[in-house]
Amino acid sequence: MVSTQAQTGVGAQQASLWGVAPYPVLVADEQGRVVLHNDAADVLLPGIRPGTPFADVVPAWLSAAHDALRAAGRTPGPPAGQEPDAPVTGVIGERAFEAHPTPRDDGTVAWWLVDDTDHLLAQRALRMERKRTAFLSEASSTLLSSLNLGRCMDVTAQLAAEHLADAALVIAPTHGRRLPVVTCLRGGTPVLAHESVDPDEVPGLGEALRGFPPVPSRWIDPSTAPVWMVPEGFGTVGSIVITPLPGHGVPAGALVLLRRSGGAAFTESEEVFARLFAARAGAAMSAARLYAEQTSITEVLMRELLPPSLHQISGVDYAGGYRPSADHERVGGDFYDVHPAAVEGEASLVALGDVCGKGLEAAVLTGKIRNTLHALLPLADDHQRMISLLNTALLNSHHTRFVTLVLASAVREGNAVNLRLTSAGHLTPLIVRASGAVEEAETRGTLVGAMPEAPARTTALTLAPGESCVLYTDGITEAEGGPMGGAQFGEERLKRILSECVGMPSESIVERVQMLAAQWVGKGRHDDMAVVVISAPRTHHLSAVNGHTRGRFTA
Amino acid sequence: MTMLPPAHLRLTTVDTEDTVRIELDGELDYETADSLLTAVTDLLAARPRLHNLHLHCAGLDNVDSMGLSVLLMIRRRTDQAGVRLHLDDRTTTLERLLTITGSLEYLTTSPTGTANSSPGTGEDPRTSGEAMTARPTGPDSTT
Repeated sequence: MVSTQAQTGVGAQQASLWGVAPYPVLVADEQGRVVLHNDAADVLLPGIRPGTPFADVVPAWLSAAHDALRAAGRTPGPPAGQEPDAPVTGVIGERAFEAHPTPRDDGTVAWWLVDDTDHLLAQRALRMERKRTAFLSEASSTLLSSLNLGRCMDVTAQLAAEHLADAALVIAPTHGRRLPVVTCLRGGTPVLAHESVDPDEVPGLGEALRGFPPVPSRWIDPSTAPVWMVPEGFGTVGSIVITPLPGHGVPAGALVLLRRSGGAAFTESEEVFARLFAARAGAAMSAARLYAEQTSITEVLMRELLPPSLHQISGVDYAGGYRPSADHERVGGDFYDVHPAAVEGEASLVALGDVCGKGLEAAVLTGKIRNTLHALLPLADDHQRMISLLNTALLNSHHTRFVTLVLASAVREGNAVNLRLTSAGHLTPLIVRASGAVEEAETRGTLVGAMPEAPARTTALTLAPGESCVLYTDGITEAEGGPMGGAQFGEERLKRILSECVGMPSESIVERVQMLAAQWVGKGRHDDMAVVVISAPRTHHLSAVNGHTRGRFTA
Repeated sequence: MTMLPPAHLRLTTVDTEDTVRIELDGELDYETADSLLTAVTDLLAARPRLHNLHLHCAGLDNVDSMGLSVLLMIRRRTDQAGVRLHLDDRTTTLERLLTITGSLEYLTTSPTGTANSSPGTGEDPRTSGEAMTARPTGPDSTT
């Protein structure tokens, strides 16, 4: 439609140009009446005719802008062609428009309407994506900062309730009959409960918790949701979606999102977003779970490996000390045990050893060795036989992990202690004589568990009252430190220290060696250190062990 | 000449006809021992006609129990492959470790049996009740 009205002052050619422009254009005069409009405006605003009041055909936001412009433009009036600062925006029908006014010389104003609906939608989507990305990165950093499974479940439920739904449940896979469930309402605090329920009764939940086969998130009919799934005081459930939490090869659990009826249901993009969140939460939860499992395995092993507290058995003093390496993840490979004789008057067996390697493998091997030695106790009067059998038990074609150990059989005879000592590839036991001399026991043998045979030579000796036999691991002698740092504690230093320990009770010797080695190391790293001291007690008064005692012993 | 750079252990392989010599520099321990085992295992697989494997030990600063474990495994593999293992230029520290653990003789004597005999065959005499002679066979081993 081409207007030819003379009062507009628009030439026919000019009018025909904007008349077919794709954007709606309308011209209104100072009295607020429409004077001109083009085809696009006709489509957008049906009923628009020249002469109709502007306010009747356009939305309030546009007519208000027109009034405001007339009021302002009355005075100097912006030069033609110059746009006022910001465009006026508003909605017409279902679309959003920017309205750009061009005041004309005759006092009329041409309004150019630009549809920016898609632009606005894109902006909104961008804002939403940014918000989601920020949320996901916040979720990741919050979740990954904790290796505590309970805390991870709490955080997951809380974040999900805050950003994804009106309430969220995090359900962990269970080993037992009770299902650990953390529930969180929006704005509330997460609550942990254990539900005695069968997850397979809820559609999709059993599969999500098993983690295999992988299942997509699943909508369930709110009316079929079990009572425990709906938090108290939640109201009527509008929609529920169950999303599996994928873990690192292990199922990490399931995330249940609930929205109230009346509110918006989950859109497809929200569901995708929930899955992205679930992937992060699942990774954090499975990491925490694996860590917890590993920690508990280590704890169980460590408890098994803790050396026993020693004391006097059948008139022989035993004392032991163990200082594990400070590397927490590395369970030590040093061990010692004292097995009292089954029959009074027979020898007790002491075993001190050092398993090659570190970590769980070393811990498992240590446990195996201690158990095997325990089982071989009836053969304790033949050290070589015990060692050969242990060697056979440990030999394995896949690896050459070995143990070096010392076996000591000690029995009191009169005031003295008779000792049989066998070193199987271990550091030679040291004998602290009453004279202050420190002797190396005459025993040598091969390490156990890696070579076809494990021959060893046993030595027999006697400890007079006040004399001691010291068994130790290389964590002591190879401890690095000293005044200048970097020097080894060494056997010579150990011997010197022991020669000053003459006549001391076994416990004091252990404490002294440990203390000096610890001082030597200072704050530096060290390996496991184990010491066992076997002593013939100094007899200050008559001993009732047997008839051989000769009364008061004077030092 | 090939160079393999693992953590703290450097292996330098020198090849001749039927002999390979690997120079060990650094620490043979919990963290590095596996790299030596892998290198030797690959070598044995790649060189079926090999007669002698020399591990040149002068540059070894420290050998811990895992390092010793790997030497024992290498000995087992070389015996199976019919290759004679030589631990050359042992440091006093290494000599001491091998002496204390009673593994010196096992690691340094030549297998008397052929490749298909068990590694233990050659060592039978010393196991017959008689005390094991852990006496060092290397030069001035005990300090």
